[in-house]
Amino acid sequence: MGEFLKSTRFKVLLAFLAFLVGIMIYSVTKGGYSLSGVSFINTITKPFRYISNSISMKIEKNADSINNADAYYEENQELKKQIGELNKKLTNYDDLVAEVEELRKLVVIKEEHPDNIFSQPAEVMGYIANDPFKGFTIDRGYADDIEPYSPVITPEGIVGIVIDVSQHSSTVRTLLSPDLSIAAICSSTNTDFGIIEGTVITAENGMTKLTHLDKNHQIKKGDLMITSGSSGLFPKDHAIGTVTKTGIEANGLSAYAEIEPCADISRLRSVFVITDFDGKNDSTKEDTDEDKDNS
Amino acid sequence: MRIKTTREKRILYFKTTLRWIIYYLIIFSSFIVMTSGSWKKPVLLVPVALCIAINNDIMASAYTGAFCGLLIDVACGRLVGYNAVLLTVFCVASTLIFELYLRRKFVNFIVIAAAAAFLQCWLDYKFFYEIWGFADVERIFRNTTLKVWGYTVISSVFIYILFKIINNWLMPKEHLTIEEVIRTNQGA
Repeated sequence: MGEFLKSTRFKVLLAFLAFLVGIMIYSVTKGGYSLSGVSFINTITKPFRYISNSISMKIEKNADSINNADAYYEENQELKKQIGELNKKLTNYDDLVAEVEELRKLVVIKEEHPDNIFSQPAEVMGYIANDPFKGFTIDRGYADDIEPYSPVITPEGIVGIVIDVSQHSSTVRTLLSPDLSIAAICSSTNTDFGIIEGTVITAENGMTKLTHLDKNHQIKKGDLMITSGSSGLFPKDHAIGTVTKTGIEANGLSAYAEIEPCADISRLRSVFVITDFDGKNDSTKEDTDEDKDNS
Repeated sequence: MRIKTTREKRILYFKTTLRWIIYYLIIFSSFIVMTSGSWKKPVLLVPVALCIAINNDIMASAYTGAFCGLLIDVACGRLVGYNAVLLTVFCVASTLIFELYLRRKFVNFIVIAAAAAFLQCWLDYKFFYEIWGFADVERIFRNTTLKVWGYTVISSVFIYILFKIINNWLMPKEHLTIEEVIRTNQGA
């Protein structure tokens, strides 16, 4: 061992380790943009990850249907009743209509938010390995005008935010993560607002949490929470999720609500990135202006 | 040491090249598996890097450890270089331990792989979750970190067997058996 510590090999190893630490420090200074090496790895492995991910998702879907057969059976019976009722009113639905409906939803979103500029549809390349908050990678990057901290949505609602951008891929942090806070307001009461922020416990069930809610709120189960647009990070009036439960925080000072995201975050196939919208970064600019005035 | 014939040298060169191509195919496959689906999965690249490290020299194991670490950084969305540093240290340490103190036995490998995987998972939990003070963060350790570590240790068994087969077939042997000497002489 002593000989090894004095040898040239050991010095070369130390130099190599210093080089790796240098890469690590350099990647910290990139401010949301990936190193070109990461872009290269992502580009090379993209087709393989697509194939492998689609196989895994199918296996997981089948295994899930076996594991939860009882729950699915009960849910199935319930749904059959609902289908019976719906069939009286609705007919001739098929896959094509469903697909058109999806696209229509996007068109509706565009009509509702004319100020929003959307990216091309982005495919989900795969989920981040072992992330309890279901972060994922998409196949669009700065070559498609995507910037760090751009909101990510589906026709159902907000999914998360882009945190790391490569040339042809980006990493998305979902609204299940405690690292992402979204200012939200209740669409039915229009007065109850709070911050939607993931927690470790709610993320286990694919839910998120509305905090800093006034104790005298009017929110009830089933209410839809939408973005308030006050932070400058997310555009206004996009659906986030529905309220499943309300309660008072342990400190007794404010209330909270559990929120089920409108989009099924663990089963995403494609998403859209909002590359620009009215009021983007307004809050940040205001803060900067205030700082300048103060100084 | 016996002088090698030109034919033996050619075979050795071919086998070594083929062995490293297979190593890197396994690394690539492990990376693809790690980035597929949304379930919890073992960090396959840790036992793979260690398996390569214990059968090769220090520099080769250091470079392989760094490469596997970079792939873990990409797959797990971590700071680029973080796992590369960790795995380089683990691989070099494993090479030294097996060169100086331990025999290349299954049990020894599993113990070293379990220790390295635990350190990797524990440091990941410390730096990427606990340090930020999320509420109920210990649940991540119980429900994710320990499970992932368990899966990694179980997968180490299969990875060891896979590398054992590859190395038996393609690794140059220090001592030739009588049958091999006769076969080599007949070939020459």
